[in-house]
Amino acid sequence: MEKVIQVRNLYKLYRVGEEIVRALDGVDFDIFRGEFCAIVGTSGSGKSTLLNMLAGLEKPTKGNVVIAGEHIEKMNEEQLVKFRRENVGFIFQSFHLLGTMNAVENVALPLSFRKVPRNVRIRKAERMLDLVNLRKHKKHFPNQMSGGQQQRVGVARALVVNPKIIFADEPTGNLDSHTSEEVMQLMKRVVKEQNKTLVMVTHDAHLATYADRVFHISDGKILKIENNQKERTRQNEEQE
Amino acid sequence: MSWMDLLRMSGSNLKRRKLRTFLTVLGVVIGTTSIVVMISLGLGMQQSLYREVEQSGGLTSIRVTGESAGDSMYSESGSESEDTAKYIDDELIKTLGTLEHVEASYPVYEMSVILLKGGYEGYGFLKAMPYEGLMEEKIPLAEGGKLPAESSSLELVYGNAVITDFQEKGGGESYWETGVLPNIDLAKDSLFLILDQDGYYNSQSGDMDMGSDYSAENDGESQPVKQVKKHVVKASGIVEGAPDDYNAHSSYIYCNLDTLVPILKKEFSGRVIPGQPTTSSGKAYKDFYYSSAQVKVDDIDQVNEVADSIRQMGYSVETNAEYLQSMQKEFAMIEAVLGGIGAVSLFVAAIGIANTMMMSIYERTKEIGVIKVLGCSLKNIKQMFLMEAAFIGLIGGVIGNIFSFFVSAVINAITGHGAAMGFDGDISYIPIWLVLVSLGIAMLVGIMAGYFPAKRAMQLSPLAAIRTE
Ligand SMILES: Nc1ncnc2c1ncn2[C@@H]1O[C@H](COP(=O)(O)OP(=O)(O)OP(=O)(O)O)[C@@H](O)[C@H]1O
Ligand SMILES: [Mg+2]
Repeated sequence: MEKVIQVRNLYKLYRVGEEIVRALDGVDFDIFRGEFCAIVGTSGSGKSTLLNMLAGLEKPTKGNVVIAGEHIEKMNEEQLVKFRRENVGFIFQSFHLLGTMNAVENVALPLSFRKVPRNVRIRKAERMLDLVNLRKHKKHFPNQMSGGQQQRVGVARALVVNPKIIFADEPTGNLDSHTSEEVMQLMKRVVKEQNKTLVMVTHDAHLATYADRVFHISDGKILKIENNQKERTRQNEEQE
Repeated sequence: MSWMDLLRMSGSNLKRRKLRTFLTVLGVVIGTTSIVVMISLGLGMQQSLYREVEQSGGLTSIRVTGESAGDSMYSESGSESEDTAKYIDDELIKTLGTLEHVEASYPVYEMSVILLKGGYEGYGFLKAMPYEGLMEEKIPLAEGGKLPAESSSLELVYGNAVITDFQEKGGGESYWETGVLPNIDLAKDSLFLILDQDGYYNSQSGDMDMGSDYSAENDGESQPVKQVKKHVVKASGIVEGAPDDYNAHSSYIYCNLDTLVPILKKEFSGRVIPGQPTTSSGKAYKDFYYSSAQVKVDDIDQVNEVADSIRQMGYSVETNAEYLQSMQKEFAMIEAVLGGIGAVSLFVAAIGIANTMMMSIYERTKEIGVIKVLGCSLKNIKQMFLMEAAFIGLIGGVIGNIFSFFVSAVINAITGHGAAMGFDGDISYIPIWLVLVSLGIAMLVGIMAGYFPAKRAMQLSPLAAIRTE
């Protein structure tokens, strides 16, 4: 299977006054195409730091991050932006929709960075909104939508550019448990349908069960990698 | 991002903060207006200069003067010390006419005269030229007027402001004090013209008290105060314009030189014609000398050459081109100073733009971070903010220009279209190039003011941005 993400010997140290914080302390793993991975751990364990590093938002102190065959730790700001534009979709915890734009325009925004003509952009965005069941809210502005609806717009926005990988940092962190389930199911469905790689950070062990594999992280180190998929196939076999 | 998308984004951001955008734009409006209006004043002056030059023969005419003959309106002194007297006489006019590149040359005679009508008395300045010379002056005549042809009786063309030179005899108040025009219709009425001013004064003072001092000086002429000759004159035309309007012809009285000279010779036979030079013994010369000669050159590029060759003949030469050049330097200075004053307010506006952009960036830190995470290139982010700043500059420039035209119109109305300031024409003049240049400057100022904020936006770390809650 194709390795989309390769992380080798990754370190991230922060200096806070005299003290040195080891946010990531030697991390190695691979993520394959079409996988849904969850990173779980307690608060302050280094989950966000890891995800930011994968998305090229932060530079590692040491180690390699190879995504889609490219060493992103060596890229400069301009190259990173280009890399994100072409390979990565991002879902934020607090949605981060642009308040001046309605749902369709928000979803279409990343396409405008790729110089997609406006009419094509709008058509694609509308199709995405249909996919996330927001047919009726296309003209709504962010402040006219619920948190769950906003996050679904966020999902549509991440998917619209047809990225290889989608990163999500606590995508349901601001939603109630019922809505969280809905959004998780939606993400899982869409990711499977379109065969996308999804890396999600969460501290909710239950939501992590939606993932194929779960990375348990603590104090900047990976404790264990749980393989739900194998488990599920085994369970399925047992049931038969 | 395409330009269209950038524009749309910048526009919607400006629309979002209507009041702030309005205030920032207002700063640019004031800055642009002050620059445009200030420079328009300098240009207005320049325009009136050009018109003046145009009216006094354009750039191809040369004024030749020698030893002073006739009265001068702007009395020049200091040239008397020259040994070899160089007078403008018929011979010189002929010589000048034969010079290469000279199209025509004609004499000009200027003298002060007194006009009488009823109880009114007016002091005027007579400018006499041959008919072709008057033609060349391009005097705009009011309807029904014509230039005086050579004839036996004097016919005058009055400047439109000449009427204001009349006042009641014995020191009555002038038009400038009372605002009431004398009850004279220059176009229709016959007036008395007095060429012998000294004689007139003598007769006046003789009427009152003494008159003996003068006759003693007067070469032993024994007869007491003699009545001066009063010439009956009619107008052949009046210069176009209201009494308050100023132009190059407004305060002159024109007449035909070929008519004037015989009349002068007849009236002053045996005596010295006023303004004519005298021999060391106080006698008049045989020839009649003119105040100046006007030379018309056929080609604008030859003007300097012709002027130089006349100068070598020992005469003083003034060309409009030289005058214009020296004035242009002066006007460039004036415009620079005025423009500089205006630029100060535009500079303040630029600080306003920078401040607005800076605030807008702080406010939108999160948004900038998000679009960066979503793959908006750094260049696009910079362009977006520069465009916003340029927008503010451009809108301010457009409104400022519209406003400038309004202010300019008000200034021109208040100053009576330049007349109050002694200008021929509007004091404030906004040419199309000034509009375009000021628009460009306003936009440029916007872009420059927005440059550092835009750079800052570009450098914002996407991470810091999305972390901000
Ligand atoms: N910019 C920074 N400067 C200093 N220390 C930092 C910085 N960012 C993160 N850290 C530290 O690195 C560690 C990991 O932080 P991180 O944000 O990855 O935690 P997290 O697992 O995402 O926690 P949470 O579940 O609360 O989001 C923490 O101890 C944090 O204090
Ligand atoms: Mg976190």
